[in-house]
Amino acid sequence: MKVAATYSIKGGVGKTSTAVNLAFEAARGGARVLVWDLDPQGAATFLFRVRPKVRGGSRGLVGVGGELAPHVRGSDLSPVHVVPADFSLRHLDLHLEGTAQPTARLAALLDPLREHYDLALLDCPPSISLASESVFGAADALLVPVVPATLAARTLTQLVDFLDDQVDAPIVLPILSMVDRRRRMHKELVESLAADWPELLSTAIPAAAVIERMGLERAPVGVTAPTSPATRAYRSLWAEVAARLWTSS
Amino acid sequence: MHTSFTHPDLPARSVLDALAAAGFEMGAPSVVTRVVIDTFDGRLHDAGLRLEQHAGAVDELVLSGPVGAPAAHLAWSKPAPSLGHHLPPGPFRERVASRSQERALLPLLTLTTHTRVVSRRDRRGKATVAVVVHDRPTLAEHLAELPTWVAEVVGVAGHDDAFAGAIARLSMLGLVAAEGDMVGVVAGAAGVSLKGRTSSPTVPLAPSDDALLAYRAVLANLAHTIDDNLPGTVADTDPEFLHELRVAVRRTRSVLNQAKGVLPDDVREHFAAAFGHLGTVTSPARDLDVYVLGWSAMVAPLQLPDPRVLDRVRKEIERRRNSAYVTLAKELSGPTCRGTLDAWRAWLADPAVEPASPRPIGPVMARRIAKAQAVVLAHGRAITPASPPEALHDLRKDAKKLRYLLECFGGLLPTKPRKAFVSQLKALQDNLGDHQDAEVQLAELRTLAHDLHKRAKADTDALLAMGRLSDLLDRRRQKERDAFVDRFASYDTKANRAALAALLADAEAV
Repeated sequence: MKVAATYSIKGGVGKTSTAVNLAFEAARGGARVLVWDLDPQGAATFLFRVRPKVRGGSRGLVGVGGELAPHVRGSDLSPVHVVPADFSLRHLDLHLEGTAQPTARLAALLDPLREHYDLALLDCPPSISLASESVFGAADALLVPVVPATLAARTLTQLVDFLDDQVDAPIVLPILSMVDRRRRMHKELVESLAADWPELLSTAIPAAAVIERMGLERAPVGVTAPTSPATRAYRSLWAEVAARLWTSS
Repeated sequence: MHTSFTHPDLPARSVLDALAAAGFEMGAPSVVTRVVIDTFDGRLHDAGLRLEQHAGAVDELVLSGPVGAPAAHLAWSKPAPSLGHHLPPGPFRERVASRSQERALLPLLTLTTHTRVVSRRDRRGKATVAVVVHDRPTLAEHLAELPTWVAEVVGVAGHDDAFAGAIARLSMLGLVAAEGDMVGVVAGAAGVSLKGRTSSPTVPLAPSDDALLAYRAVLANLAHTIDDNLPGTVADTDPEFLHELRVAVRRTRSVLNQAKGVLPDDVREHFAAAFGHLGTVTSPARDLDVYVLGWSAMVAPLQLPDPRVLDRVRKEIERRRNSAYVTLAKELSGPTCRGTLDAWRAWLADPAVEPASPRPIGPVMARRIAKAQAVVLAHGRAITPASPPEALHDLRKDAKKLRYLLECFGGLLPTKPRKAFVSQLKALQDNLGDHQDAEVQLAELRTLAHDLHKRAKADTDALLAMGRLSDLLDRRRQKERDAFVDRFASYDTKANRAALAALLADAEAV
């Protein structure tokens, strides 16, 4: 099982829509996917129509004696399972702190499920905290949505600088998100980001109404608008991510 | 979570109506064709996986297993991939190709159903349990009587109550719970194995059956195996086709040679020679298959600093193997082989063939098996450290003859003790087979080294590596030779001899 996390220090950049749509495309491409919603807002949980309830709260989930399997829920996309979030996850740092190795805790919880899934997608809240470090300890790759805004590259630099000091840090795969190529500033920023960040994946996710409508439809764009440019973009993004994660295959 | 139900009298419609009345949401009907795919030797099945191609409402490949994990779905509307490595990069390919490796992916079973999915949803609109009703299943190329429908209850992780509720509802209708999922239930009813393409040489027989008819039943079963494996051999789909074909040919020849006094002499002699020819023409390709398939394992102990040193040698062996297959395909499609098989099928199907003087097969076969065992023991006991390698090769052939009789006419003997005795015999055969393989490969390697050297196609490093490989094969051959004494002694025990005598007692007593 490979572990990828949609992560950004910044909020509102498209982490959850990336996680949900990548989960759909990964499943369509033959992967068994576990989406772990780590954001107390529970947006991924909502989009998968899963009840936002964590039995025993965040302590029961990540605390001593906690197990992931009892929290797994099926979704309407049969090979996509979900570990839902609820508001108790606001205490995630606190309950990780109580474990012996907090930064290795999420990896340890995922470990028993390695034979059951090909990809675990961790949808993270926007912050940098102990929970983030535990995500870094578990993940093979961080999928970092970057919007074409002047300050966007700065948070990416902060993240990469932080990871530079970590042992076995995950690879960072920046993804252009919410791109409107009709806007000159977006075009210019996309070009400069691509020049500054060679790791930037070549697929850009467009700013699109179908993505905004996901909250109403409660389904990935691949279900509601299968031939839309947004769906094609997520499909192409998954191909790039899969090629990076399964290079030996 | 899967539980299946069926009922011989109730129509599928009554299940759908009952579920609709209980608030289940009815999906659109569709005709779905499923093809179960595995390697010849069932490698995916052995790994707890099942690969299916689905065509219908959704065109996809579905990989299920292990138990408890969700099935993986890969959108796929092309013909099924012939090799695992032909799948697109990603986890699906990794899971299939790591098991199937170089073996071809073959269709094992093709099943068509009229399918309808009915689901129960919670207040968020999410499905919590589904019942998949597979109506009117039909199997391609099988006429077996199948259940008229199968309903599968498919659970959703985290919704155990909904799963239990659906099962309770179906149980109330008086339905019969069936083992496994729909494909397993239908395959079971049709007697189709999902463990790869297996063919058994054993046919049901009774010791009182007429000897000629019993021989014809055994030989017809072997002829069926030959026919089954011929197209895959000619098309070079997978090495196992040739292997199975050769085993069936050898068994046929062996049974014919043991049919004196039962089959007419002219038939027996003519076809024994014809199948001998068929065996001979298939040998070179099989020997080279064994070489190619075992190459990686064979060169691994050399621990070459640069494994590419032997690339040219490997490629030359592969070239020879491919060339041998071209020759083989011509032979098998040519008039001699086709004539043999056509005439053989005609004789087996000829209703005018009747025993001149009927006699029961039991005593006939008991005597022949006892005689074959006596030959194995006499030849084995005569082998000394000074005996030439051919003596072991001849003993290997004797052991095969005995094994073929025990397997082909196994229907006459009690299963459990027969299998126990065969496993003792197999241990001896493994030793003799490994010795023979090393002999053949050593001879082939020497010929190859001379050829490559003569044509200046191997550099010094390659020749040196071939020398080391030759040494390795020679040591392996010697190791098997040294092990023979103990292996034969373990076979030639009083207990084992008594076990065979007891095994034959009932058949002999008729």
